[in-house]
Amino acid sequence: MLVLTRKVNQSIIIGDDVEVVVLEVRGEQVRIGIRAPRTVVVHRKEIFDQIQDENRAASETQPEDIPG
Amino acid sequence: MTTLASTLTTRFGAIEFIDDDIIHLCGGILGFPDGERFVLVQHKEGSRFRWLQSLDDPKLAFLVVDPAEFFANYAPEITDKLAADLGLNEETPRLVYTIVTIPRGQPEAMTANLAGPIVINLETRKGVQVIIEDPAVGIKHPLGVISQQSAA
Repeated sequence: MLVLTRKVNQSIIIGDDVEVVVLEVRGEQVRIGIRAPRTVVVHRKEIFDQIQDENRAASETQPEDIPG
Repeated sequence: MTTLASTLTTRFGAIEFIDDDIIHLCGGILGFPDGERFVLVQHKEGSRFRWLQSLDDPKLAFLVVDPAEFFANYAPEITDKLAADLGLNEETPRLVYTIVTIPRGQPEAMTANLAGPIVINLETRKGVQVIIEDPAVGIKHPLGVISQQSAA
């Protein structure tokens, strides 16, 4: 993992077209701004992981368990 | 092209399909990025359940339902990004499916993932799994069991 330290209003550029900006630091929370092309999907990791986990569980479903 | 093709599947044996049946999910289903091509297989005649069967992996299939048949007010927002990605304008016919999970041997524990619907442009047959971040939208939303006692 690349670890960088930034101050408020400083940025990080990822690849050619993704910019991550630290907007505000308040207590334990950091407000982050992301500038990226519309083609780049951005999600909070917890939700992404949860959906992925649920997809994996769903992929085990078998026809004989379908009710009706 | 209407040439009939066939593929072997783990759950259904050999299934037949034509080119027009193929659905392309951009990026595949989250967690399964290698499989982008799917076809829909009906569970039983008249059933609300269908399977999204991968054409790239015989073992990979997802049980899906049309959420509109179960949930009156569920309508995933078509964001500008989604509309652009899938080429959807207001009149473009589309399919929305939600993936259903049934833990083995527990049909009463059946749930639908309302936070990860699959939206498909019916004209292009291209689709994508969308992530809805609203915490009120459930990943494991209980799906009512079809009553075994319903009138024949």
